[in-house]
Amino acid sequence: MTAEESLIVKLLTAAWLLPLLGFAVEVFGGYWQKSRKSKAAALMAVACIGCGFVASASALCLGIEWSALLGEGTKHDVMEPISGTFYLLGEFGPLVLSLDYYIDSLTLLMFTMVTLIATCIHVFALGYMSDELTDDHVDHEVHLSDGGHFHRPGRFYRFFSFMSLFCFSMLGLVLAGNIFQVFVFWELVGICSYLLIGFYVERKSASTAANKAFIVNRVGDFGFIIGLMVIWTSFGTFRFFDHEIDTKPVPGLFTMISRVEAEDAHHDEKHKSSAEHEKDEEHPEGEEHPEGEEHHNGEEKAEESHPAGEHATAEHHAHTMQLDVDDARSVVFLHKDNKGTRIADPVTETEKSIPYWLLIVAGVGVFAGCIGKSAQFPLQTWLPDAMEGPTPVSALVHSATMVAAGVYLAGRFYPMFAPEVLLVIAYIGCITLFVAATIAIVATDIKRVLAYSTISQLGYMMLGIGVGGWAAGLFHLITHAFFKSLMFLASGSVIVGCHHEQEMPKMGGLWRKMPVTAFTMLVGVIAICGLAIPFSIFGAKIAFSGYHSKDAIVASSLAFMNANQIHFLLFFVPLVTAGITAFYMFRLWFYTFAGTPRDKKVYDHARESPLVMTIPLIVLSFFAIFVAVGGEVGPLYGLLQGSEPVHVDGGAVSVATEGATAITMPSRHAIHDVHGQAGWYALIAAVSGAVFAYLLYGIRVIDPADIKRNFSGVHTFLVEKWRFDDLYEVMFIKPVHVIARWCTGFDRGYIDGLLHWLSRKTVDVSNWDRKFDENVIDGLVNWIGKVVYKSGRSLRHLQTGLIRQYVMFIALGVLALFVLLFVMFPA
Amino acid sequence: MNFDAILEKLINDTVGQSLGHFSSELALCVTIVGLLLVRLVSLDRWLPTYWVALLGAIAAFGLAACQMKQGGATQFLFTGLLVYDQFGIFFRLFLLLFLVLVIALTVISGIPDNEDGPDFYTLLLGATIGMMLMVSANNLLILFLGIEMTSVPSYVMVGFLKGRKLSSEAALKYVIYGAGIAGVMLYGISLMAGMLGTTDMSLIAERMHLLLSPEADGADLSVRSNAMLRTVVLASLLISAGVAFKLSLVPFHFWCPDAFEGAPAEVAGFLSVASKAAAFALLVRFCLALVGKDSGALSEHVYLYLGVGLGVVAAITATFGNLAAYSQTNIKRLLAYSTIAHAGYMLMAVAAMMVLVNSDVADAKLKAAGALEGLIYYLTVYLFMNLGAFAIVAFIRNQILSEEIKDYAGLGWQAPCLGIGMVFCLFSLVGMPPFGGFFAKLMIFKSLVDAGYANPFMWVVLAIGGLNTVFSLIYYLRVLNAMYIVPRPEGSPRVKFDFLPAGAYVVMVTLPVLLTGFFPYFPDRLSDTASRVANMLISNF
Repeated sequence: MTAEESLIVKLLTAAWLLPLLGFAVEVFGGYWQKSRKSKAAALMAVACIGCGFVASASALCLGIEWSALLGEGTKHDVMEPISGTFYLLGEFGPLVLSLDYYIDSLTLLMFTMVTLIATCIHVFALGYMSDELTDDHVDHEVHLSDGGHFHRPGRFYRFFSFMSLFCFSMLGLVLAGNIFQVFVFWELVGICSYLLIGFYVERKSASTAANKAFIVNRVGDFGFIIGLMVIWTSFGTFRFFDHEIDTKPVPGLFTMISRVEAEDAHHDEKHKSSAEHEKDEEHPEGEEHPEGEEHHNGEEKAEESHPAGEHATAEHHAHTMQLDVDDARSVVFLHKDNKGTRIADPVTETEKSIPYWLLIVAGVGVFAGCIGKSAQFPLQTWLPDAMEGPTPVSALVHSATMVAAGVYLAGRFYPMFAPEVLLVIAYIGCITLFVAATIAIVATDIKRVLAYSTISQLGYMMLGIGVGGWAAGLFHLITHAFFKSLMFLASGSVIVGCHHEQEMPKMGGLWRKMPVTAFTMLVGVIAICGLAIPFSIFGAKIAFSGYHSKDAIVASSLAFMNANQIHFLLFFVPLVTAGITAFYMFRLWFYTFAGTPRDKKVYDHARESPLVMTIPLIVLSFFAIFVAVGGEVGPLYGLLQGSEPVHVDGGAVSVATEGATAITMPSRHAIHDVHGQAGWYALIAAVSGAVFAYLLYGIRVIDPADIKRNFSGVHTFLVEKWRFDDLYEVMFIKPVHVIARWCTGFDRGYIDGLLHWLSRKTVDVSNWDRKFDENVIDGLVNWIGKVVYKSGRSLRHLQTGLIRQYVMFIALGVLALFVLLFVMFPA
Repeated sequence: MNFDAILEKLINDTVGQSLGHFSSELALCVTIVGLLLVRLVSLDRWLPTYWVALLGAIAAFGLAACQMKQGGATQFLFTGLLVYDQFGIFFRLFLLLFLVLVIALTVISGIPDNEDGPDFYTLLLGATIGMMLMVSANNLLILFLGIEMTSVPSYVMVGFLKGRKLSSEAALKYVIYGAGIAGVMLYGISLMAGMLGTTDMSLIAERMHLLLSPEADGADLSVRSNAMLRTVVLASLLISAGVAFKLSLVPFHFWCPDAFEGAPAEVAGFLSVASKAAAFALLVRFCLALVGKDSGALSEHVYLYLGVGLGVVAAITATFGNLAAYSQTNIKRLLAYSTIAHAGYMLMAVAAMMVLVNSDVADAKLKAAGALEGLIYYLTVYLFMNLGAFAIVAFIRNQILSEEIKDYAGLGWQAPCLGIGMVFCLFSLVGMPPFGGFFAKLMIFKSLVDAGYANPFMWVVLAIGGLNTVFSLIYYLRVLNAMYIVPRPEGSPRVKFDFLPAGAYVVMVTLPVLLTGFFPYFPDRLSDTASRVANMLISNF
């Protein structure tokens, strides 16, 4: 490890551990302080995370090979991953549990992003949470039975100590060098989320929401644990990276599962023909599918390629990668190095492998954790409720960082996902993005709109990763973090300005009262919608960050559809949803800031927030505009590509060559070629959505109420969130209650009865035993004691104290012994 | 060989060989002379005499330790009067260690006062020299001399508290009883010497073979019909009676409770451990001398039954001691009976050894050595636990001026150091884990199990020993009951007890009791040493 690398490790370790130190000091110091009016805890938290940002940013500057990033050519030279072990938790033979670190450009980027946004949000929270700076806080949302409100000491310090703990956990998650450590921090961020959602614990809605978030996440984590168990047993390590144990090189997970080049064209051809036969019988139009695969391999020069138009040439197959499977395609061989050398058991000389289905189970299991954490379908229901937490929490935890951790893990764990798993990811993302977007149309709570928008955008990220746009998904993760935290903070500013009014129908025309908030919110809205001027001015398109990243995802899914036409929904649904996104985001903006005030009282009391809250907004809006500058050739995308798994570049194919599971991941070239095309589609969708919103809510040429009436069934369905909560109520909660009641009845009736019966019998036996003990045992012991004592006393008489007798006993004794011997000796 | 040559040989033997190995005894002799001189020139006004005694004892201990370290083969000293071997050296070391501890105890407890100091220490050291002669005796005369040299100072020490009637009475009883036993023993020695024509113990077995060999007339190995054998057995019985007197075995124990009750606790402690250890060493030597290296046909008939006879006596002694201890109200009397009982347990080891040593059991010699090892281990632990108990009795006597158990009420709470020390010592005397007494008893019982294969009667002895252990618990616990559970009577003065120096002494003496039971290192070392000593002694036969 060079000096520079060890410096990077130290910087990131400092950035990681500083919030933990802050947490420890804040939580105890705050608890023991006499008055709750001190801002010390908050300042400490801001200082910790601020220093963390400085350290992370320095590490980013140090760690990146700038010439590779800014120059032309391959981006894989941007950074060599740094990995190592902090601390050994335990060794079980060859199995090792440890605290590791794995640092590549993605890690550095995530560190910088998280610390930057967290710093902004911490500063914002200084203002937002200032009503907690009192010894007697009145919670107006908690109604006591006597009609009054709940009084309690302020919890300013507690908020910031939880935030510090969250930052520590989140950074630990990003820094983790093995999947088990990821899981540990995964749970830590989970508990932080629980604590922060339930910050206003006296409000029933808040504590319920906290419980819901926690329990729903457990469902996902159940799958995560199954995945961990599969990995632990099949691979024997949790570490991502190659390392050494007792100077013996041990491959990490990524190396073990590294891809080999796909089988040659001849081989492919053979399978293709058989695939075609089967396809023809089932799907007349399905025949295009294998040729789609061919298409992407051969389309290097073809701009507008028709699937059947070109023929693949053998040498292009060299770029396509796949898992190293045996001929039966049932097991995957594990590799010792990246050149595809298989691991052989030294004793039996069999090659180490994992069943293919087990690899899928591991991937889906880990992804189940991501589903829970990132609020994907079908576990998306907890995130809207999580908005019960304070708005800075929503901004940091439930939009920018923690919920994105699921996407981050899906990206980090990408090499371990078989193509089938990626397809699952893509479809889950696709369903999620559509469902959430539709609900967002009808939501009226400003934070809930943002929450559904978050779910929808997370779905985009998952979709991007699932269709092979690895960098696109994570690209959107970064840009989304900025503009969504920006919008949440802006909404927080609105909520504070309107005295904790969150219903949009009561707002309107607020831009006159709070121009900074309105303007920065507009930046966020434009960014998320992906509006842009698609003509080059000064050599670059005029576009905010969201345009670039969403564009990349749509392009990936278009390329994927081109390659696998059966999965056409994966392109059309996100495209339509892009329009919906624009619609509901502009609806939000128009509802809130434009037009005439709907509620006079709210409008009159509204005011712009103080500087401590608006400055973070401005900083974040700057990043929301410029972070993705340059798009696919810009530095941010380049940084992400520096960490891209090797096999993404050339595209990958699934090991199955027939049926619906035959999947081809598009190569970079394939995506690049459809990029312009996709960009137009997305832009048209977004603009039409925005225009539609303007018509409905901006100039109000159509009354939304009419639409609501005409489509009242759909509207109710959407307002009830696709009835997921009802469904879960019927499917899980009700049955659980029934079973619980049954268990209680069984417990009360049978178990308790048995126990009572047993205890009565025990008492009976004890009583009998006591009688036996007192009379028989004690009597016996006493009798023995008495006898022994009596014989002892009688022996006392022997000791007369008369010397004459003593001397006589000598003679008698000798005589007695002699006689004894005499008698005893045999004849 | 003319007179000069004999003289020269004698001088060579004495100066060249024997005196060097006799150095620790000589050191004690010098100390005694020194003590008397100190008194003569009135130096004792400035230099308390216990310093002289303590220094002399430590010097002798050091010399014995050097001998222990050097090791060396078995030798005969002073033309065969004494034997110099590992066994003797170990016991010498044992006795001198004990002497040092007892002198330290007397210094702390203040008996005797400075006026009587020279007399007392002269007697104490003289008795120790007698014991050291006992443990290395190789001649029946030395046997007698050793016992008497031990006994005579003991008589005086028992009666050392001159003003007390009880003390003088006890001393008188002890003297007369001792004199009677001495007569019996001397009679036995004269019979033995008359029959075998020698008093050299290493020749006894050989002579007996000659006497009773088939070539000699009347090759009848039955005691009933063979007069010579009968006489020899009677002689050995009479000599054993002398040793049994020192061991206070039933039925030669009558002196013990009276003497202990009258004697100061320090002296009682000294007698209970030191004279018993010396007497056991002597008994082992005497028994092995009777058996001889290769006793052949005799072993099956005579020695086996001598061993069984010892077993019977052991069982009776242990039972008697324990039963009689029940109704005692005086702590020293109680401990006297406890001493008798423990002599019974230890005699079981000797009996097992006698049964095993020439039996046809596999590894008989090794198992006999195991029995002896058990005896040595037991004696070592016994040293600490019994001395500890007597020391605590002495310290408590200095406080409450009473040795009645009922006066001990509630003392355990007021003097925790003494109380806990007493708990350790008494539980160890019972043989409870995790104290040293447990392992000691375990080793002896194990050798009884081994001996049972040679003669099943030893299993009966084992059963009686086990039963006795259970019964002994009760009277030991009576003391603890008084100390801890019975409340201190109203109005009785609070006991003031300083940790230094008495508490430290109690800790020093009782700690080994715990160490030899609780930490594997100490029992291992001790049993290694004991095993080495025992094996060397047994393998010489």
